[in-house]
Amino acid sequence: MSSFGYLVKEGFKNLFNNRMMSLASIGVLISCLVLTGSAVLLTVNVSNFVDTVSDKNLTNVYLDDDMDHLHAVAIGQDILAVEHVVDAQLVEKDEAMEGFREQLGEDIFQNMTGKGNPFPYSYRISVDAETMQNVEQYDKVVEELKHVQLVRNGEVLGKVASVSSHRDMAQKLTSLSSLITMMSFWIILALAVISLFIIANTIRMTMFSHRFEISIMKSVGATNTFVRIPFIIEGAMIGLISAVVSVGVLYFLSEGIIAALKSILKFNYTPFTDVIWYVAGAFIGAGVIVGVLGSLLSISRFLKREGNEILGW
Amino acid sequence: MIEFKNVSKVYSSNGAHALDNVTLSIAKGEFVFIVGASGAGKSTFLKLIMREEQPTSGSIIVNDMYLERLSRRKVPYLRRTMGIVFQDFRLISKMTVYENVAFAMRCVGKKTATIKKRVPYILDLVGLSDKANDHPTELSGGEQQRVSLARALVNNPELIIADEPTGNIDPEMSYEIIELLSEINKRGTTVLVVTHEHELVKSFGKRVINIEDGRVVADSADEEYIAI
Repeated sequence: MSSFGYLVKEGFKNLFNNRMMSLASIGVLISCLVLTGSAVLLTVNVSNFVDTVSDKNLTNVYLDDDMDHLHAVAIGQDILAVEHVVDAQLVEKDEAMEGFREQLGEDIFQNMTGKGNPFPYSYRISVDAETMQNVEQYDKVVEELKHVQLVRNGEVLGKVASVSSHRDMAQKLTSLSSLITMMSFWIILALAVISLFIIANTIRMTMFSHRFEISIMKSVGATNTFVRIPFIIEGAMIGLISAVVSVGVLYFLSEGIIAALKSILKFNYTPFTDVIWYVAGAFIGAGVIVGVLGSLLSISRFLKREGNEILGW
Repeated sequence: MIEFKNVSKVYSSNGAHALDNVTLSIAKGEFVFIVGASGAGKSTFLKLIMREEQPTSGSIIVNDMYLERLSRRKVPYLRRTMGIVFQDFRLISKMTVYENVAFAMRCVGKKTATIKKRVPYILDLVGLSDKANDHPTELSGGEQQRVSLARALVNNPELIIADEPTGNIDPEMSYEIIELLSEINKRGTTVLVVTHEHELVKSFGKRVINIEDGRVVADSADEEYIAI
């Protein structure tokens, strides 16, 4: 066996012999990595949602419940007449119900076809790009849309009942996302520092239990690098195990959350599988770096000692 | 081999003068006893040779290396030129005799194939071939010291330093250990033995350096030496 092979084996032995502290370090590092991953996934999905809303330019205008088909078609002209509205697509009652049927199942809608359909006619509105960028102007358009009426020969034949806009939610989510990103940054930083110290402490304990061997190693002429390697490998393994477990935890966590969210909000979620390799790469990199740094932190002071000082005599 | 020129050592922690202007020379292939009472400066003398400590003043040359110019990174390479035998053996109890000796070779990056050839040879040299798979706790004091000696020898050093090697073993075994060191010395290895057992020293008739209060008070190599 080569020297390196021997040192790697020693590193694994250290990890196992010191398993309680190793598990504590792995636990803290997993919390840190899962939180980091969650923040990244949340940010990616929120920005996707915002993009989806912007792409579709979606604003829904709901008409009065009792408005008939003829009037619903006619009011389309009045809606299009509102400044900055570039398109208005009529959504038939059946079409609206179909959308909900897909999400909520067949049973609920069994007796609701034809005249029993409770959904109102509605319009999908698109506004111009300039309005999408300008919050005040957009709000003005929404306000105008709320007051659109179908007036023929001085008689009000129907009117807009309500206007819903996903843009509001997109804006709220964007600010929520920046808040989450900022909070995550500080939490992750704190956890990274804690992980670093816990790993350093774990390695220090291993070193302490190996102080006798270390004193012999130094007396027979082992280089500091040779003494260090098993401890660095121990730190790196703590990082690697944490990274692999974190990727697994994040996979199940994100699948569960996305499955639950899909029934509430429809947009293109970024599934974890799309980014799994990037996340795994980043986690392994971060985990190993924290592990190695943690071990270096505790080794350097120890290696400056000589002879009986190592043994504390 | 070993040269001390006006070497003094004062410990900054307690201001103790451990060595005071020591000048001496030990040639390659010599067998030297260093004697002296506790606290005389023997341990400091060894620590300076092993570069565990640095002198406050003076210069030291060990195995052609100028220790005051030796960087920290080079210290392991100095130590590879010497083998150290401790009074308390310093054997790793969870390792077998074979593993303890092999460990010294592992530490300097020797390959398994080389270790497999060299360790049995050295164990045979110290008369412990049949104990290779025993653990140190299963051996007598004398046997443990021979394992310690095997470990010191395994990397083929130019110099063997034995710090009170007979301190923890019975007189008969002590004689055997010095005899073994003497045999090793005959093969060309320089041997430096620190001891306070005057009777043992006398019976071997080797060079004796006596250190008292941090000074060399007698050296049998000097013409005016009077035996103590």
